Amino acid sequence: MALTLADWPPYRIFWSSAKFAFKALFSWLRPPMWLTQLLVLPLFQMAFFVYLSRFVSPDGAAVAFIAVGNALQVASFSSIFAVCNLTSEEKWQGTLTSIIVTPANRFPLFLGRAMFQILNSMATVIVGLFYASNIFGVDMSSTDFLALAVVILVTSVAMTGFGLMLGSVGLFLRTAMIIANIFLFIGLLICGVNFPVTVLPTWLQPFSYAIPMTYGTMAARAAVQGSNIIELGPLVLQEIGAGAGSILVGYLLFLGFEALARRRGTFEEF
Amino acid sequence: MTRLQTISGSFRMSLLHFFTDPQWIIPNIIAPFVFTIVALVLFGNVSASVALYAVLGGGMMGMWGNTLYGSGFALAFDRWNGTIEYVLATPSRLVWIIAGRSASNAVLGLVNAFAIVLVVAIGYGTLFVVANPVLFILALILTLASLSALGVVFCSAFLLSRSAQVMTNGLEMPIYVATGSMFPIALLPFWSHPISLSLGPTWGIDAMRYAADATYTGLGFGYWTDLLLVAASTAIYMAIGFWLFIVVEKKVRRDATLTEY
Repeated sequence: MALTLADWPPYRIFWSSAKFAFKALFSWLRPPMWLTQLLVLPLFQMAFFVYLSRFVSPDGAAVAFIAVGNALQVASFSSIFAVCNLTSEEKWQGTLTSIIVTPANRFPLFLGRAMFQILNSMATVIVGLFYASNIFGVDMSSTDFLALAVVILVTSVAMTGFGLMLGSVGLFLRTAMIIANIFLFIGLLICGVNFPVTVLPTWLQPFSYAIPMTYGTMAARAAVQGSNIIELGPLVLQEIGAGAGSILVGYLLFLGFEALARRRGTFEEF
Repeated sequence: MTRLQTISGSFRMSLLHFFTDPQWIIPNIIAPFVFTIVALVLFGNVSASVALYAVLGGGMMGMWGNTLYGSGFALAFDRWNGTIEYVLATPSRLVWIIAGRSASNAVLGLVNAFAIVLVVAIGYGTLFVVANPVLFILALILTLASLSALGVVFCSAFLLSRSAQVMTNGLEMPIYVATGSMFPIALLPFWSHPISLSLGPTWGIDAMRYAADATYTGLGFGYWTDLLLVAASTAIYMAIGFWLFIVVEKKVRRDATLTEY
């Protein structure tokens, strides 16, 4: 009997975990509340920084830069905040120990848990870009939409990888919520969202370039200005590299923290 | 007397909870802190009176962040820890318990605001000079009271919902924008001005700017009118909050949805 992809254990674990996470999320979060969050968060974050920039320069010179940057960054609510809290939420629900004792591979298991947040991140960015064009007056007439779609996909996946890396700490600490909050907003400062990374002190810039969002904001602005996917290739590849690096480091951290938490008996501490 | 005892007991308990695990101040303070730094970078070499918007706005945002998260999680934590039934089973009214918790969040919010102003002043070299300290402190206290009263109103809604955390995240930014915490509300669309002007903190921060900067013209009503409007809106929020708590408390008891999360 021929084996199919569905028989491959990591594949099964990934999809079963993804479906379970989706059902678990909407068991407590009503769809209208999710939709409200999807529509409200990008609007007000973008409005805050766009009006701030209009206060600084009434000619609106920085509006497009800031609106597109924030449209991308607002996806951090899903890709960083929600994903980073995955391990902590399992603790709060009392299900982490049950997961840890299963022989299932951790990598597809937690990647599956984060699957819906990748889609959520993409939806958030699309809503944000819609606001950028229709409310904040960003000219998108030259936009290469194929390149922009690739940038949105890559940024969402890469930032979710970054969120998983941060979330691994939650295995050992009492909560990952603190780290999630710090990294949710720190991107506004160091990822070239509101001003170019070059404005930052030199010692801080390497941290910026270690976060996939930095490449995402640059690539999205270039796509809005008309750059095609070939021209954006180097930037997108760098973003993929930063995302893959985050996932790899995150997986190693996860294994390390899992061993540490087992030894110290901190799985149920929260 | 019983009410005062309830409020002070709840206040004390809330502070004890905070000092048991003070790391929870970070989620409340991080957004206002980052927003203030971003604003100062964007403002660049603008005049001191414009930079005042960033520092004062950051302080106000720190207070609101703490009040909102404090209110949002005041009952959510009880739900998660399985203690909400005991809180509601006591003969004291829930609203007085929440009032004590809100007061403690307000005190911590004040600490947040000072921390933001201090860190920005030291780290960024932006000197914060207040023209009239007495009037400034008066406006600050009333603004804090107004934010706390607004927090109580929202807290009653959080009691109804299993998604208090989501609502909390969603309510942080709209208040920053609508109150013109870091920019004049005149920049906002005209249709949104009535919403901004109906919020007590809008007048509160305007009063603080009047007290801090002698040359400030702001909304044009003057310091004392601003202060009167903050006080009036605070009283209205408190009345609405009190009424909502009575209604909501009855509803969750009747529907048996109190412990759902």
